Parts: sequence; C-alpha cells; structure tokens
Amino acid sequence: MTFWIPAAAMALLAVLMILLPLWRRDGAAVDHREGALAIFVDQLKEIDAERARGLISPAEAEAAQLEIKRRMLAVGRLKGRGPARTGGAAMLMALAVLVPLLAGGVYVMTGAPGAESLPFAERAEERADTREIVELTERLRERLTSDENGGPTEGWELLAQTYMRMGRFDAAAEALGRIVDREDAHSGHLTQWAEALIAANDGIITAQAGAAIDRALDMDVLNPAASYYKAQWLEQEGRSGEARELLVLRLRQADEAQPWMEVFLRQINRLGSETGAAPVALDDFVVTRGPSAEDVEAAQAMTAEERGDFIRSMVNRLAERLEDEPDDLDGWLQLGRAYGVLGEQARALQAYQAAEGLLEGLAANDPRREVVAAGLAEHGG
Amino acid sequence: MIPELGQFGLALALALAVVQSVVPMAGAARGNLVWMRSAQSTALGQLVFLALAFGALMWAFVVSDFTVRNVVENSNSLKPMLFKVAATWGSHEGSLLLWTLILALFGAGVAVFGTNIPHALRARTLSVQAWISVGFLTFMLFTSNPFERMLPPPVDGNDLNPLLQDIGLAMHPPLLYVGYVGFSIVFSFAVAALIEGRVDAAWARWVRPWTLAAWMSLTAGIALGSWWAYYELGWGGWWFWDPVENVSFMPWLLGTALLHSAIVTEKRGAFKSWTILLAILTFSLSLLGTFIVRSGLLTSVHAFAVDPERGIYILGLLGISIGGSLTLYAVRAPAMEGGGLFAPVSREGGLLINNLLLAVATGTVLFGTLYPLFLEAITGDKISVGPPFYNASFVPIMLPLVFVMGLGPFLTWKRADLKGVLQRLWLALALAAVAALVLWYLVTEGPVLAVLAFGLGIWLFVATAQEWASRIKLFRAPFSESLRRARNLPRASHGMTLAHLGLAVCIFGFVGSSAWKEDLIVFAEPGTEVQVAGFDLRLEGVEEVPGPNYTAFRATLVVSRDGEFLQNLYPERRNYPVARSQTTESAIRHSLAGDLYASIAEPASQTAGEAWTLRVLYEPLVNFIWLGSFMLVLGGALSLSDRRLRVGAPRRAKAPEMAQPAE
Repeated sequence: MTFWIPAAAMALLAVLMILLPLWRRDGAAVDHREGALAIFVDQLKEIDAERARGLISPAEAEAAQLEIKRRMLAVGRLKGRGPARTGGAAMLMALAVLVPLLAGGVYVMTGAPGAESLPFAERAEERADTREIVELTERLRERLTSDENGGPTEGWELLAQTYMRMGRFDAAAEALGRIVDREDAHSGHLTQWAEALIAANDGIITAQAGAAIDRALDMDVLNPAASYYKAQWLEQEGRSGEARELLVLRLRQADEAQPWMEVFLRQINRLGSETGAAPVALDDFVVTRGPSAEDVEAAQAMTAEERGDFIRSMVNRLAERLEDEPDDLDGWLQLGRAYGVLGEQARALQAYQAAEGLLEGLAANDPRREVVAAGLAEHGG
Repeated sequence: MIPELGQFGLALALALAVVQSVVPMAGAARGNLVWMRSAQSTALGQLVFLALAFGALMWAFVVSDFTVRNVVENSNSLKPMLFKVAATWGSHEGSLLLWTLILALFGAGVAVFGTNIPHALRARTLSVQAWISVGFLTFMLFTSNPFERMLPPPVDGNDLNPLLQDIGLAMHPPLLYVGYVGFSIVFSFAVAALIEGRVDAAWARWVRPWTLAAWMSLTAGIALGSWWAYYELGWGGWWFWDPVENVSFMPWLLGTALLHSAIVTEKRGAFKSWTILLAILTFSLSLLGTFIVRSGLLTSVHAFAVDPERGIYILGLLGISIGGSLTLYAVRAPAMEGGGLFAPVSREGGLLINNLLLAVATGTVLFGTLYPLFLEAITGDKISVGPPFYNASFVPIMLPLVFVMGLGPFLTWKRADLKGVLQRLWLALALAAVAALVLWYLVTEGPVLAVLAFGLGIWLFVATAQEWASRIKLFRAPFSESLRRARNLPRASHGMTLAHLGLAVCIFGFVGSSAWKEDLIVFAEPGTEVQVAGFDLRLEGVEEVPGPNYTAFRATLVVSRDGEFLQNLYPERRNYPVARSQTTESAIRHSLAGDLYASIAEPASQTAGEAWTLRVLYEPLVNFIWLGSFMLVLGGALSLSDRRLRVGAPRRAKAPEMAQPAE
C-alpha cells in the first residue's frame, strides 16, 4: 500500500525530532543570569546614548544607570546551576519508540485506514453515469408529459422514485401530484407524495402534506407509512402524546414482525422519553420471527406427526414473509434448507433459485455463494 | 490516501505535543539540557506535521476530493480556485486546524528565533505552549475531525456561503488567528515565568517581540475584517459591535495594554505582576472568543444546549487554562518583588492610566458581549446590545485615553514636570481647540461627542508629531543634524510615533464616517436621479450579467458633480444558484475626502415593477480608518525590527558579538 511508505517516513521524522537533542551535546546553556546581564549592559549603553543626545539630563541618566546596576547585582546574586546536565538519553529513546505507537493508536481511532482519495477530476465516468441517469429520467418525463392520456401511473411512480433518489424532492412531489387524484391511486401513492412534499419542505409537514396523509389513512387505515407521518404531524403540532398513542395502536393491529416496526419502536420510545412513558420492545406487540424457546420446548413434547405440522406452519410463515420481502437472502437460504428437510425438492429448488438471484453484488468469497451452489446441486438445479 | 496522511500528521503532532508538554518542563526543573533542548525539535516537528495536515486538507479542497466530509460540506467543484483554497479554513474543522497550526507556528518561532532567551525559560514556555496544543488537538481529533471521510462520495459538494467568497474574507481569518492565537505564546511565557518564579526586566524584553508580532497581526486582522464588512456586506458600516467582532477586539484592547505595561516592567522593573496578569487575561479572552464563536453559542443559546459536545469541550479547556493559570498567579504573584518607585505624574503614571482605561474599556465590551448571552440563557429573552450602548460607554472611556496618549511620551520616567510639558504642548492644545471650534461652527447641530473626539484626534496627532520632532530637534537644529538624529533614534521610538499617529488618523476616520455620514434609500427606476453630499447620481439601467458561479443584476449609475461627469458605478446583486443565496456587491467611489457608496436590491415586490431599492451613502474620511490601521501595523513592525529586541548573552564558544556602532 502506498499509504504506508510516506506514513512510515513521517513517523521516522517524528522519531528523529525526538532524538535530535542527543546529537548536539555541547553543554553551553544560556542561563537566566547571562541572558539578563546582556540586556542590562545594553540598557546602560542606551542611557549613555540618550544622555549624549541630550534627551535626559546627566542626573537622570545617573539615577537610571544606578537602578540598572542594582538590578545587575540582584541578577548576579542568582545561583548559577553550574554545568548543565546532559544525561537522560534513555528517556528520549524510550519516547522515540512511544511516539509512533501513540500516533498510530490515535490514527487508528480517528482515521479511516485504507480509504483512498478520489479527486473530482478522476470521477468523469461516475459523472457520465449520473448524467446518463439524469438524461434517461428527463426522457421518461418527456414521454409521460407528452402522453395524451397523462401517462401510466406506474411511469410517474418510477419517475418520482428516481427523483427522490436524486434528492430532487420538488420534482418528485410534482410527479406524484399528477397521479394522486387518479382512479387507480392507492394509499401508498399518497404517502409517497406526502413524503416528497415533506422532504421538499425540509422536514416540515405542510397543510398539503397533512391532507395527503389523512387521505392515505382513509384509503387504507393499515398503511404504516400513513400512520408514521400522521404521528409526525401530530408531534409537529405539539401533540406528542397522541402521536405516540397512534404509533402504539398501529403496532397493536399488527400480527407479525415487519421491518418498519423498528422505526415505529424508535419513534415511540423517543416520544415516550419526553413524556416519561416506559420504553416498549417488539415482543410487546408481536411474536418475533424464528422459533422462541417456548416453541422449541413445545415441539420437543410433540409427537412426530405434530412436530411435522408445526414445522410446516413455521415454514409457511417464513414463505409468506419472503413474498413481501423478496430481497432477504438469508431468509431464502433458511427456507430452502427447511424445504429440503421436509423433502419438498421442487420448493427447495425454487427457494435456492430465488436466493441465486440475490447473489449479485456479494463479495466473491462470500460463503453464501457456496451454500446456494450446494443447494442448487442437491435439489437438481 | 492524502487525507489519511493528513490525519496521521495530526496524530503525530499530538504525540509530539504530549512529549513536549512534559519533557522540557522536567528538564528545566532538573537542569537537564538535553531534555530542555528537546522542546526545540518537537516544536519544529509539530509545525511540520500540522503544516503537512493543513496542506493535505488544502489539497483535498483544491482537487475537490469529496471523500472528505469537510470538502463536501464546504466546497463545490464549480467554485473558483482561490475560494477552494480559502475554504480550507472556512469551516469549523478547517479553522481549528489553522488555529493549531498557528499555535505551532509561534511555538516553532520561539524554538528557532528565541536564541537569546535562557534555556530554562524557553523550555518551560514551549511546554506550556504544548499543553495548549494538546488541548486543541484532542478537541479537533475527537469532536471536529477535519479529515472525516464520506464513502461513497457524493457527486458534488454543497458550496460555501457565497458571502464568504471574497478575497478580503479569505485573508481575514488567517490574519486574525495569527494575532488571536499569537497571544498564546505570551501566555506561555507568563505561565513559565510564574512556574520559574522569576519575572524581571529581562523577561519583559524577551517577551516583547512576540507580543508585538501577535498585536500587529491582530491589528491587521481586525482592520481587514472591518474593511471586508464595509465593502462586502452592503450596509456601508465598518464596525457593528457584533459579538464576533467584539471577541477579536477584546484581546486587542488588553494586548495593547500589555504592550504598554511590559515597557514599564522592562524599563523600571515595575508592574511585574500586572503585566503577567494581562498576559494571562489577553489569551484568556482569545480562548473565550474561540469558545463563543466555535461553540455555536452565538447562533442561539438554544442550539448550543441541543448539541453541546463541542462547546462543553472548549468550555472545559477554557476552565482549565484560565482557572489553572489564575490559580498559579494567585500563588506566585505575591512573592514578586516590587519595582522602582514613581510619582503620579510620570511616564509610569501615564502608562498606568493607559492600562486602567484599556482594562475598563475591555470590561465594557465584555459586558456588552456576554450580557445578551446570559440574558437569553436565563430568561430566554433575545436582546442585542448595539452601537448606542458602546457610544455611551466605550467611547467616553477612550476619549481621556487619547488625551493621555498625546501627553504620555513627553513625560519622563519616575517624576515628570506636567506644567513644563503642557507649556511645550500649547501648540497641540490650541490647534485641537481651534479645530473643534471650527467643526462646531460648521456643524452647529453636530454631535458633541464627535466634535470632542475629532479635537482629541487632532491633539493626539499634533502632540505625537511634536514629540518626535523634539527628539530629532526638527527646525531647532540644522536639517542634517535632525536627519542624523532621526537615523540614530531607536526603531522602537519611530514605531511608537507612527502607531500613535496611526490611531489619530483612525479617529478622524471613525468620527467622520459615523457622525457626518449621509444616507439615502430610494426606490429607483432607470432614469431616477438622486443627490447625496453634492454628488448627482442617475440610474441608467439594470442588466443581467453572468459570473463564474453566479448570475448578477448589475446597475449602472452615472456619478457627476456640478454637471461634470466623474465616473460610473456598478453595484451588483448576485445570485448563487447552487447555494441558493444572494449577495450584495456594492460599488464604491474611493477618495481620501470620503467614499461614495452605492448598493442595489431587487424590486421590493412584483407590484413595484422596475423599481430597484437603491442605497447611496456618503462616508466622509472613512479611508482614514484603513490608512491609520496600516500605520498602526507598520509602527508595530518598526518596533519589532529594533535591534535591542535581539540582544542576547554572548556565545562563549565564539568571540563576543560586537554591539552595533554606538548611537
């Protein structure tokens, strides 16, 4: 790594800086007495010069010189230290070792070892990509606006999502604004619109966004995003207690764990800490995923047939969840293994195939690649 | 890689600072020359590594490396190169890096140039300087890391406030910091002397060049900052008694007092304890300024309370350094021997009055700066303490100071003949009185304070010039004799004269531009004509012009007087699309007699149509402020070049250096 060569050179320089005083060992120390005497001698000469120029009277000059001479005597009485000591080399050598170590420790704590720099000029390719995305987006936009029927709803939705990723919240809100009043608009469109409006207003929920949230709730009272933003709105109005209640209520309506619940819990606990309400956890609302200790205990007490049914129900729950969250690689692997155990070759193969589609972007040495390959081979893929 | 090297440079600087804060101090206590000398190389090492780090950060800004968060937040690939460079110190993190770099610069300065300073004092001073270094380096590394990375990098950066995109401002913080932070070395000298338990005339001499260097830079920094505010902010003022200005002005006031009290310590061995206290307090005010500016306390006390990590850290540093040094002072100061005696009317007496008034003035500014902050913290009320407060409190304190300033240099040490001095100064007194009376006549309605201040300015100018003339026997001896005397006069003496004249010149500017300012705001359409201070201005039109990273509306104003065309002025209103903000670029017609100052703003509303808001100001004598400030800095430089500041003990190994030819 190129970093380590200059870094080592710098550390070496620091070591040299510590050891430098050991090179020159002539014991000539300027002590306070000598330094001060030199200055007083100079002051005496200066007074002579001033007297010669007629700036002060001879009497004044004499008095001033007397005063300086008294100071010289006082300094002269100071005890000289005698010859200065020049030992202590061991200490400096120890420090010369410690300094790079200390610096290295501080660097590891605060730095980002291995992080390369990336000047703007070297990122032309990346910028070209970005430009291409921008161009494609604009083309999509043109196509949609020139469409006589106003453009398909999915098209606008895609456009809005792209704008959101680009941070162009105004444009995203505008795009979504075109479809929210359509027949096929659903609650999700309204919450996306509200989200874009809120982002465009630096996190402030405007009346327009508030109305969109209310409409989204009317259309689908179980839309979690609608509940979430409604709670934010309540909080913005200073009604933190109600906001928390709303979130809690929505969690009570759920019957299984979902990823968005973490966000809800954080909000609930943040709002709760303001009012002093006790913190809540996911277990308070739903059975968390995976067999709990009780499940395992119950399964052990079952007959073979009962156990088979129980496992099957767990597997079905997992399969259902994966329909909603198809990106969960570990979930698919778990499902494939479960189906394999249950002897359902075709389904196991399907699960591993789904997992295979998610391997892209993983590191080449990721162990899960092997698991997938083994699973596919085992079930005849 | 380069940002990481910068980061490693900071870590090495911290490690060296830790060593430097212990070893030389121990060496001085045990008389170990090797340990004492280690301060010199570690101080240099700190400077090298901090300069490397600063260079690395600057590189990241220059090439727009958006893997560094600091660059993302404070730069933009479209920004003109000069301002990319300046953005290095534009942010909180970058300015802290500059802060520590300058700290190290002064440490290394003492290490390299302080050859006439006794080893023990130098070692202790550098150790104390390293304590400050450790405090600020840890603050930077652990709460405000300038090299924090951002991976993956965003496509482009978020720009810097375009108001800060200005040459004057790009240069302002570095200069201000050199002054502000420069007082750290004076503080270190004071604490070292307290630890050593020895403060004498020689000590004052050793510290003097460093005080002068810091004072000069601070003067230049403040002047440059006010110049920037004057022509960039578009309000036509050069000083707003804004807290950010005040926190740099307070160290200047106390630093000025320190500069003068150190003279007494040097010449008469008196005021020792007071000089030490001033050295401690001056740097404490610099730290307080850093705290107030860097903690976010100014934006709002509330914002500070929400994210107090940084503020609390600086507050801790502040408590340790100020509390620690004052405790040390309380323990050691009573043991200091008193200096020579003096009568109330004497050079010492004059300097004492100077010190008292400067200290009171500092207290006044401190009160005005902190009171609104405390009030907001306690009651939640937001008030601002502005010019009316300072005009009523600060200005009346400074006026007697100016009077004594004219007198002081004539007074002799120990005991002076006030009557004799006043007899010599009848000319200055008469001129000042006449000038004040003439002004009174010219502006019968004029403010009393302004007339008085102007008269005192004249008094100071004439008296200072007369003092200098008497030293070189101008007009009382053949000219060649005067010239020879002027050459032989110590440079510090010329420096004092120049600096005092500079302040007088500044006073003309202060008074002229604030008391006799003419101000006019109109809604103007193309063709509108206005008259200000004898000038006729006509708005020709407004056109849109492109700039490097902004677009601007540029107005064309035709200026004439008595029907005679003088010049065109082009004030601009700039719009920076990336930063989504706007700035005012005023146009100024400079002349020594006064500045004609014009700025425009957009039509107030859609209904106002083509009517631009045109503001025209006439500020008499305003350029005297910068001229005077320049004289102050030049005076400081002259004093700094005085050969007496480099007198050292003769080297035993070599032949004793010859003193310069006798004066």
